[in-house]
Formats: sequence, C-alpha cells, structure tokens
Amino acid sequence: MLEGLRMFVEALGGFMTPKALFDVLWATQLGIIVGMLPGLTATMGVALMTTLTFKMATSNAVLILICMYIGAIYGGSRSAILLNIPGTPANAATAVDGYPAAKKGLAGQAIGIGTTGSFLGSLIGMFMLALFTPLIGNFALSFQSFEFFWLSVFGVVICGNLTAPKDPLKGWISGFLGLFISMIGMENMYAYKRFSFGWVELSGGIALIPAMVGAFGFAEIIMVMKYPVMEVVKTKIEHVIPRPREIARYWKTIVRSGIVGTFIGAVPGVGEDIAAWVSYDLARRSSKEKEKFGKGSFEGLIAAETGNNACVAGAMIPVLSLAIPGSAPAAVLLAAMFIHGVRPGPLIMLEFPTFIYQVVAMVLLATTAMFILGLSLVRTLVKILLVPRQKLMPIVFVLCMVGSFAIHGRIFEVGVMIVFGIIGYYMRVMDYPIAPLVLGIILGKILDPNLRRALVISNGNLIPFFTRPISAVIFVITLLTIFSRMQWFRNLVSSATGGIKRLLKRS
Amino acid sequence: MKEKNMAKADFVTSIFLILFGLFVLYQSLQMPRFEERHVNPYSVPGLVPGFLGIVLAFLGLVLFVRSILKGGHRLELTASRIRDFFLDESTKRILITIILSVGYGVFLGKIKFSILTALYVFLFIVIFDYKRQKTLKDQWKIFLSGFIVAVLTSASVTYVFRYLFLVNLP
Repeated sequence: MLEGLRMFVEALGGFMTPKALFDVLWATQLGIIVGMLPGLTATMGVALMTTLTFKMATSNAVLILICMYIGAIYGGSRSAILLNIPGTPANAATAVDGYPAAKKGLAGQAIGIGTTGSFLGSLIGMFMLALFTPLIGNFALSFQSFEFFWLSVFGVVICGNLTAPKDPLKGWISGFLGLFISMIGMENMYAYKRFSFGWVELSGGIALIPAMVGAFGFAEIIMVMKYPVMEVVKTKIEHVIPRPREIARYWKTIVRSGIVGTFIGAVPGVGEDIAAWVSYDLARRSSKEKEKFGKGSFEGLIAAETGNNACVAGAMIPVLSLAIPGSAPAAVLLAAMFIHGVRPGPLIMLEFPTFIYQVVAMVLLATTAMFILGLSLVRTLVKILLVPRQKLMPIVFVLCMVGSFAIHGRIFEVGVMIVFGIIGYYMRVMDYPIAPLVLGIILGKILDPNLRRALVISNGNLIPFFTRPISAVIFVITLLTIFSRMQWFRNLVSSATGGIKRLLKRS
Repeated sequence: MKEKNMAKADFVTSIFLILFGLFVLYQSLQMPRFEERHVNPYSVPGLVPGFLGIVLAFLGLVLFVRSILKGGHRLELTASRIRDFFLDESTKRILITIILSVGYGVFLGKIKFSILTALYVFLFIVIFDYKRQKTLKDQWKIFLSGFIVAVLTSASVTYVFRYLFLVNLP
C-alpha cells in the first residue's frame, strides 16, 4: 500500500513539468470541445488522438489520451444540458434532467453541478483504480488458457447483454461478429492467412483503430447528417460555480453513483452510457424527491454525471490488469498502450509496476484540469455549439481519414474505416450495439490462441474448462448472464424464490 | 426504425447471418490441418473460426425464428415503397454523405491530398447548404463560405499533420 503511494507521488512529481502541464490543459480542453460537439464522441477523440501522438514518448502520449478521454466524457454534458442532445452517448442520462433545468433558466447551475459531479465521480473512480488494479492484477497471475478463454466469452456475452438492453440477441450477434473479424489475417501459431482470399492487404488483419474510427466516427457523421438542425436553448448562463451546500446535499448520491459507475466501468465493454443510466436509475429509486426526476432534478443530473466519469477510471481497471477494455474509448487506450510498447495484462505488476500509478496520476491531473476548465470559459465555449453541422462534419471526416491512414500509412486502412462506418451506421439503425463488435475484435485475439492452447494442454478434454475453480465460476456467471434475459428462467427464479419465502414463513 | 420494419430487417439480416455462419464454417473446414507436420489436431487454424461460424449461424437462426413470429417474413416490397424510400429526405442526405465520403476515399492517393480535401469539404458544404427554391445568385454566400472553409481546412490539416505531427499524408 505504502509502496503504491510512493510510486503515485513519484509519478505525480514526474508530471510537474511545464510541458506536461501544458499538455494536460490543451488535451483536456480539446476533449471537452470534442465531447460537446454531437457527432464527435470520446471514442473517436481518443482514436484520432492516438494517431497524432504515436510518435511521442509513451507517458506523454498516454497522458494526452487520458485527458482527451476524461474531457470528452465530461464535455458531452454541455450539449446534453443546452441542446437536449448528448455530446457523447455517455451523457444521454444527463439530458433527462439537464435540459429541463436549462429551460427553467438554470443552465449555469446545471453546468456547475454537472461539472462538480464529474469531478467527484472521477476522483472516486481514481481511488478505486489505484486500489483494485494491483489486486486484480495479482489475482489474474493465476489465470491460464482455460480462464482466459472463458473471460473472453464472458466479455462478449456481458457486453452484448448490457449494451443492448432491449434485445441482447443483437448484442451477442455484434460481439460474435467482432470475434470473427479478429480471425481475419495471419494467425499466430502457424502463420496461416485466414479469410484473406489471396488479398495481401487483408492478410495483415483488420486493425482496431481504423475499424473503431469508422464504426464510431464515420457512422456518427452519417447519423448526424441524417437529422434536422438542432437549436441551442436561449438562456443566460449564470452561477456556474456551485455552492458547497448544494453539493453536500447529495453526498449519498455522489458516493453511490461513483462506486456504481466504477464497477460498471470495470465490466468488459460496458461503457459510460450504461454507468450513467444505472447511477441515474438508482438515484431516482432512492430519492426523497422522485417526482422532480425528469423535470430538472439536480440530484438526477449529478448522479448521471458522477456515474459516467467514475466509469472512465473504472474502465481502466481491466485494461491495466487483464488487457480487456472496460469501455469503447478504453479499448482505444489499450490499443495505444500496445502501440507504445506497454503490455497491460496480468504481467503488468511484474513488467511495468510503476505504470499503474502513472495512470492514476494522469487521471488525477486530467480530472483537476477538467474541473478548472469546466467551470471557466463556459459562455465562450457554448458558441462552438452554434457551428452548423454541414460545415463541421466534412472536417471531422477529413480527420477520420487522416487518422486511419497515419499509423501504418496504408490507404487500405482508409477503406477499412469507410466500410466499418457504413456497417456501423446500419447496425445502429437496426439496434445492434457497436461496443460488443469492437470488444470482440480485441477479445478474439485472446480467445483464439487460448482456446487452442487449452485444448492442446488437456488433449481435447473439455472437462478442465468446467472443473478448474476460476473457470467454473466464470462459466457459471456467463451462463447466468445469458439465462437472465430469458423469460422462462426469470419465471423459474421468481417461483423458486417465492417457494423459499413461503417455506421460511411456515417454519 | 418502427417495430414492423425492424422485424422485416431482422428477417433479411437473419438469412444473411445463417448463410454467413455456414460460409465461415465451410471455409474453416477447408483450412489446412498440417497432418504432414504432425500438428496437434486441437491447434489447427480452422478450429476457432469454425466454432464462431456455428455460433453465428445459430444466433442467425434464433433471429430468423423470432422475426417470422413477428411477421417479418411478409416483406411487402412494392415499387412504390422502394421509390418512397429513395425519395425520402433523410435517405437522400445519408446517400449524399456516403457517396461524397467514399469518393474522397477512392481518389485518395490519386489526386494531391490538399486539393482533394479542399474539393471534398467545398462540395459537402455547398451540396448540403444549397436550396433549389432559391436562385444561384441569391446563394453566392454559400459558395464563398464553402470555399473559405475548404481552403482553411485543407491548409491547416496538411500543415498540422505534415509538419507538427510528422505524419506522411497520402
């Protein structure tokens, strides 16, 4: 514990240079702007920034990416409050109470409370990141191929389950399609080119960054261009800095949303949007002023904003300890870490022990910058929302294009971006979530070698997959996750619990 | 998308998914097993893709059955419906966005990056801002603003990426 604290203080001290602090400020501010603009999501921002920073030193590049990530998730609350259009999907729950508050003329207060919620949520997430990453990392050292196989399947199943609340089947289809996409190209045991059909470019596989820039960036551009023009709420923005009493009133909601947001962040692939909705829903259920929710309740607003920003740090826990992303932007962050030669995963505590605490220090710096920048320049930045979409979107597409091309310098990857953009758009229209697809592309690289290795170890015997203790636990959780969405299973559980209750009453 | 249309879309998608899953399974079975190298049969390259092909076909089958139960198999595709779809304003906007962007991608590397980028941004702005009801003369501002944004975007992206981020542009 003390060793961890020492590494954290050392890491923080290492970033106290004018250049690093300048990077923190501009990257967070850029993140806020990216988040604010509908059509520019945190995932796209982090993906584009990865392509711009890949020639920088590792710590600088990761610092900039984390600032962009935290800034963008927070920035989306601005357009959610003022436009009723969440800047990023993570701020959809913010709009439910933020926009009615703005319509009542409380836009300034809503922005101030949202900013404070994001700040506190991020801090709670940061503490849990520092606490749990080493613990999970050490625990994961006992994982073998059997466990990694189940973990990959579990990741796809739970992500599909939670990102498609209306129809989990579509979430699972998206996840398994992602797993298939990762099979394209040369496999790493015998260097056999799978599904390449003699196409040299395809034999290198589908790279994650262009696929993500397409699925989250170009798809969003098409989506934005489809809809009519939006209008900004005409209101005076006053009293942005909140009074401490206003915040202290909601301390229970803040702590609950922070913890819930972090835990949801740590679940593979389940991002900030779900964290915000769950935090919001829990706040509404336990609130004394339920009737105010949806009509401009500050409690609802603070719950959503605390939840989504806590999720950012939470999503980094599995990135660092298991090399499995907790959310879509965290997936890009993971890819960026690999590009920079850091290998997150169970061995991180042995290979790069100081890196975890460097990340914690980066989160603290980004959070502080977000809080300061979030409470200042509010009126100036609102003007950015007035830029017409037909002038902004072609510029964004040019950035997507250059971003996809930059890392490997191949026009093929620009094609990948465009194809994934069109696929991503139609998937959205048909209610297929994108996050499981992306998670599948990452987890496929873990699932394939581990399943084959496990089968070789057990000589084709499937029993160890179900009898090894950790494997069995992950398998049962995966099965329960699937069954939990089936009506017959729910009926069975409710009749069983009803029976137990009756028995207990009688006795 | 409306629920009825969603069931139809699901029906078509499910057929595609089943066929795709079976195609993946077939391709996986065709992959080499390196028997001459005495490779362990559980480590062959086609094992995992084959398993994924089966899962995809199964999930497609579930979607297929569900879409039929919702009446998705009655596609009711008529010429007038197809025409209405293509004449719909949002479909037009989507198609314009895709065509312009794909065109940009196709010509990338064939035309000088700065010229191509300026042309793309200019066309994008002018096409979306232009109103047929008004005369060309009344809309000179659109052309001017499109031109300015296009030149500024092209110049700044080229400069920032090439000289600040040291990225080789296509």
